[in-house]
Amino acid sequence: MAPEGARNEYDVIVVGAGFGGPVAAKKCAEAGLRTLMLERGGRAGEKVISGLTIPFYGFLFGPEFIRDGNPPIERPVDGIINYIIKDIDTGDIDIEDSLRLPKPLSPVIAFGYNAYCQPFCEWEAERAIESGAELRTSTVAVNVLRENGCVRGVVTDAGDSLGAKVVIDAEGCQGLLAIKAGIREKYPPDTISLADVYDYEMAKEDVDRIFGHTLRFCWGWDEQRVAPPLGYGNGLMVWPYRNSLHFIQDQCLKAESGKVPSLKDFDEYHRNITTRVPWWKDDVAPHINLRSRMWDGFEIYVGLDEDLRNMPNHTDGMILIGDAAGLESTELCDGVPAAWFSAEIAADVAIEAIRAGDTSTSFLKRYDERIRAHPIIQWSISRTNRHDLRYAQRDHDEKRLKALIHNGWGLGGFTHMSTPLAETMLGAISEDPAIVTSWIRMYFRYFYNWLYERFGEHHGELPAVSSGTQTAGHRAFKRSLESLDRVLERFSSPIKRAAAFVAPAAVIANPVMKALLPILEPMYLVLVRILEPVTDPLSKKLIDFVKRADPSMFDSPRKKGVRDAKDF
Amino acid sequence: MPKTFEEFPGVEWVEGAGEFIKIDEDKCSGCAGCVKVCLAGCYEISKKKARIKSLEKCMECAACWFVCTEGAIDFSWPPGGTGYRSDWG
Repeated sequence: MAPEGARNEYDVIVVGAGFGGPVAAKKCAEAGLRTLMLERGGRAGEKVISGLTIPFYGFLFGPEFIRDGNPPIERPVDGIINYIIKDIDTGDIDIEDSLRLPKPLSPVIAFGYNAYCQPFCEWEAERAIESGAELRTSTVAVNVLRENGCVRGVVTDAGDSLGAKVVIDAEGCQGLLAIKAGIREKYPPDTISLADVYDYEMAKEDVDRIFGHTLRFCWGWDEQRVAPPLGYGNGLMVWPYRNSLHFIQDQCLKAESGKVPSLKDFDEYHRNITTRVPWWKDDVAPHINLRSRMWDGFEIYVGLDEDLRNMPNHTDGMILIGDAAGLESTELCDGVPAAWFSAEIAADVAIEAIRAGDTSTSFLKRYDERIRAHPIIQWSISRTNRHDLRYAQRDHDEKRLKALIHNGWGLGGFTHMSTPLAETMLGAISEDPAIVTSWIRMYFRYFYNWLYERFGEHHGELPAVSSGTQTAGHRAFKRSLESLDRVLERFSSPIKRAAAFVAPAAVIANPVMKALLPILEPMYLVLVRILEPVTDPLSKKLIDFVKRADPSMFDSPRKKGVRDAKDF
Repeated sequence: MPKTFEEFPGVEWVEGAGEFIKIDEDKCSGCAGCVKVCLAGCYEISKKKARIKSLEKCMECAACWFVCTEGAIDFSWPPGGTGYRSDWG
């Protein structure tokens, strides 16, 4: 391991303290490696801009400290309403809202969690620091250090040479350091989009009443000049946060004509959206106040280019993760789960390489192999619905547009995501069956945290909890989880074997969903509507249950023994 | 004190960023792609070449650099701790 005394010598240097960097840094530090994070902003995450729902699979299958921790979330998400705008003047707007978690699962169980980037990234970085990683903010890694042609650290903008056995590059989609290291070239403009982001303050009760826990997307014909803005873009997406709304319109940097689009048109589209879309104009506009406008570039279609998707993401002494490795989702415009997954894989490989005393490309290539074997990463960077819907819009092909929206942001998603989800889930259970109760506890703890604004050291007014305030339901829930913990521990070996045995069968999940969905979906949607008088009060009861619960019952047993007091 | 601009509320710019984007006039074809994609209005065309007016509102998205297929734009990060920052991203 790198000697403590050598101030500028590290085992691992992680460049970038966004979503992925701290995950890699924490894991390396926990393994006893001398680890440094470099962040070019004054604080972790303050240069990260997004409209962000982190999907559930990021939390379920990603880093344990996030799943078992209390990250700052803004609102659980239970589904998407897609508005298909055919004629804004006559109000000819169709709705596709099949992707809604039914009550009483919603909103305690969620499809994902909305979050502001800065506090979330900072929370992650703090956890990495607690594990022993060092963080240098206001520091740019301007180049790599080389020794015999191999990367052996970085040079900072202050002129410091910082040595490392492995550099993990989490710099984001611009990837300047990866280019300097000769790993890759600048992404072409047809793979990059610019996200024009607006943040509106809105009273929580208004967000609750108007949006609840549901995202709203708009798609439509070009001439409406409402959504999507300018072609090859994403349209309008609105994310409800705790007491604010996040709004994004985005545009690929290469238009269909092959030319560079004028992004000044964003202003017109934003004006049209906010003054002509009925639900925005009538319901939202009277209750909002613009707090911020910002923008950022992001990878939109890097994964769709086979050469880019298969490019090496490592060289001697250096590994790329997250957006730096081209791992942004091509459909859900989300890069966080892949950043987390790749950060953990990179940390594992860096630890193995340093222990083996071999950080050469022939050793580090196992990183690329594991990325290519990761079912969710590969699924998320190869989907084409978002790209293809552009042509349905251009051709005014309503049937195709609806099919693509249903496939991308409706229940049709299960015809292509079921297999990678099932494979990853079975893989996680076969590694550690106890993860099942972590998943259950996570949903309830996150919802409790959301109710009381509890994260890190921060929280709102928490209710007093005593044995007297806990109902028979609370006691039964606690006992059931503890019993399940014991069963999973006792039968760990057979469960692991069973999960590993069943895992290959996951390949049939997609075809089965494809065959059954046309039959099941209409029945399911009718059933959800019919049962609402029953499920609605049940959902309220579940919310009340969480509200009054002793939150310690939602803590992971693995975490209880080592829990840092700072977490509460 | 960090700078703010009325048209881009909620974003602060810490001074000291300097000239972190440069244009190689010899390579510039004057296509104005950078002008079209820069929401901060950093660019203008002067004598058929792109010219940086000011980087004071640059949000470091690198859209200008991505669209410059001539390789005329040299994009780097501003010095650590300078440039834009946001709590609402």
